[in-house]
Amino acid sequence: MNNASEPGSVRLMEAAALDLLFTSLHEAGYRVIGPTVADGAIVLGELAAAGDLPFGWGVQLEPGGYRLRRRGDTAAFGHSAGPGSWKQFLHPPREKLWSARLAEGGFEIGQTGDDSGRDAEPPRLAFFGVRPCDLRAIQVQDQVLGSGRGNSRYAARRAAVLIVAVNCTEPGETCFCTSMGTGPGAGPGYDLALTELVSGDRHAFLVDVGTEAGASVLAGVPHVNAGAATIDRARSAVADASEHMGRSMPAAGLRELMAGSYDAARWDDVASRCLTCGNCTLACPTCFCTEVEDVTDLSGDHAERWQHWASCFDLDFSYLHGGPVRSSARSRYRQWLTHKLGTWHDQFDSSGCVGCGRCIVWCPVGIDITEEVAALQAEAQDRKTGDAGTQDGAP
Amino acid sequence: MSGVTPADLAGHPFLRGMADGHLAVLARVCWVAPVRKGHQLFAEGDTARRFWLIRSGHVALDVHAPGGRQLIVETLGQGDLLGLSWLVPPYQWQFGATAVQDTMTFEFNAAAVQAACESDADLGYQLLQRVMSAALSRLQATRVRMLDLYAASAPVRGGP
Amino acid sequence: MSQATAPVLPARYQVVERQEETHDTVTLCLRPVDQPIPAYRPGQFTMLYAPGIGEVPVSISGTGPELGLVQTVRAVGAVTRALCACPPGRVIGVRGPYGTHWDVASAAGDDLLIVAGGIGLAPLRGALLAALGHRERYRRVVVLAGARSPEELVFARELDEWRRGGAEVAVTVDQAVVGWAGHVGVVTQLIGRVDVDSARTTALICGPEVMMRLTARELRALGVPATRIRVSLERNMRCGVAECGHCQLGPLLLCRDGPVISYQVAMPLLAIREL
Repeated sequence: MNNASEPGSVRLMEAAALDLLFTSLHEAGYRVIGPTVADGAIVLGELAAAGDLPFGWGVQLEPGGYRLRRRGDTAAFGHSAGPGSWKQFLHPPREKLWSARLAEGGFEIGQTGDDSGRDAEPPRLAFFGVRPCDLRAIQVQDQVLGSGRGNSRYAARRAAVLIVAVNCTEPGETCFCTSMGTGPGAGPGYDLALTELVSGDRHAFLVDVGTEAGASVLAGVPHVNAGAATIDRARSAVADASEHMGRSMPAAGLRELMAGSYDAARWDDVASRCLTCGNCTLACPTCFCTEVEDVTDLSGDHAERWQHWASCFDLDFSYLHGGPVRSSARSRYRQWLTHKLGTWHDQFDSSGCVGCGRCIVWCPVGIDITEEVAALQAEAQDRKTGDAGTQDGAP
Repeated sequence: MSGVTPADLAGHPFLRGMADGHLAVLARVCWVAPVRKGHQLFAEGDTARRFWLIRSGHVALDVHAPGGRQLIVETLGQGDLLGLSWLVPPYQWQFGATAVQDTMTFEFNAAAVQAACESDADLGYQLLQRVMSAALSRLQATRVRMLDLYAASAPVRGGP
Repeated sequence: MSQATAPVLPARYQVVERQEETHDTVTLCLRPVDQPIPAYRPGQFTMLYAPGIGEVPVSISGTGPELGLVQTVRAVGAVTRALCACPPGRVIGVRGPYGTHWDVASAAGDDLLIVAGGIGLAPLRGALLAALGHRERYRRVVVLAGARSPEELVFARELDEWRRGGAEVAVTVDQAVVGWAGHVGVVTQLIGRVDVDSARTTALICGPEVMMRLTARELRALGVPATRIRVSLERNMRCGVAECGHCQLGPLLLCRDGPVISYQVAMPLLAIREL
């Protein structure tokens, strides 16, 4: 029953065995983080057992809209674009960097890191149910924060994470991972990848083993070799999903489109709708900007440096010489989108967008970046044909 | 006899590119004028009868303010035209001008130059183009100075 | 936890000397208390920590004795006011050095033209001293400095020493009273006076953004290629290590890809409003 799995092998397990998978993870020292229903949404939190997963729950998504709905089946992973992403665990919203004693005309740094100390081992977390887009988002943040040379303890936290990915067979209305090349099947980087197979009474998971760590966790769970037909069924379901994406982006040229669009009229259009609330930056799994803050206690003897999430939509974000550089809503929305889709390539060698659609869902006024990009593209095209028309020197 | 040749004038940056014929006219109405350090070339309110092309040295345009302060408006040096008010009514100097160092100049008879321009519109245009260029350059520089870029910036308030 | 394994902890530096440059600008001479930070190259900056108050990016103006640093701070907010008030003996924090440098050595064999506006002379001072330290490598070394008034000229006491070291130094101010023997006017007006050899000039410019744009434009009009003009740009810097996202200017992260940028790269970016 339990053959030693190795990376690259494909297994099949029953949904009923999920509890044993959780046990195996706990015994390996991991706390399991995964999706669960709370406060009218499917959020990420610590799961005690497989029963905490949102079996039978789906979502209904639209620009500025999110509703839970009952599914007709018992699928645990038939949902997408929840408000939270894995970044809250790898790149926490608030983090103490260090504390110091202030005395004798100087300072002395005492404890570094949070209250457990910088050198303490971060908790071992098993991310259970990482969508392919979110797996890619983690890798995008690895590129920005994972060098280990900065303020962030990201690298240490990341090294203590085990990833159980879940391939998508049912894209949400606002998903466009196919356009961004990040799904619906998980790329490399998972320890285990599950593909959920639900039909009638049967509820099973195809398991792709990615690493030794994944194999080791799977060893304690009843599973069998996956047969060719089952594998085929699972692969087809994922492949089909790429045909049913709710939205799309142009396949190539986003960096150039953004670079050429700084003067576009479209920015004024979106600025008339954008509240600059920053929800998109909170929901986005790759947004990483932070603010650093130095605080003291009332005695003035004790100082701490804290880091917390910041958003380029904050007016203060670009403060320089008495005022913000980016004052208008137009400039701040433009900054966010041109960075995410364009200059991120220049800074970090990849796109910043993974096509998860959260920014569309969680924007209170329903701004849809796929629609904005289409409009910018149309405007760029008009400009090009307009220029071509006057090339002979006619006024 | 002024002692200034067209060739002497041709070498001055302000008159660069001017035709020999025009230079000859100008040469007849100017002379070499050294100005000693500290000497005042003109005072605020004087009638503007002359103007200068600075060949070397350093001249300060100044203005007097209450409390005994004399403020420098601008300094001019090699290659610069000193004097603009001779061209337009009321032909009166708005500032004073004092040599900060020993300075060498070509000094011009303003009335004679104006008369020459009246009878030779070509010469007039050539001269005015160069004067305009100098004035524009100074205007732009003055505008930049008014921006007070080096001051510590106060928060800019743009409304309620 | 030693500094070597925690590069982003502020290193302790003690104020050895405090020189008031102007009514709101102070030059601090700092010396390391523990391990010094790595050697700097002119153009780079550090994050200076006023204990308990906060951090700001400050250009390095030069080195001091005992592997120390010279840094010039202008009091414009809570952190900078606290730094400017530090008396000798006070210990502050230093992180860095960060950012790109002026690459003074690339001008070897040619004329080095340094154009500074206001406190922009501080980040350029290191470049000048580096050049004067190897004076024979360069043809002319020319410094053009603009300031608001003679009283607000930083490093005024060093100008003659620079001249003795082989630099041509010209200063202009926006306002002065009679008695001032220098120029009155903008720094771009000095460019015409120094006979720039555009084919063999490398220009380093630092000052308010408007001043840098106008100066670069003037130099380009004279034929100096945009690739041989460098500017030092500024945006809100918070972490200094390319992790917080604040200092972006289009595709650049100024703490990592700047602050020194070739004008070729900077020009199109500076033309976009609210970038």
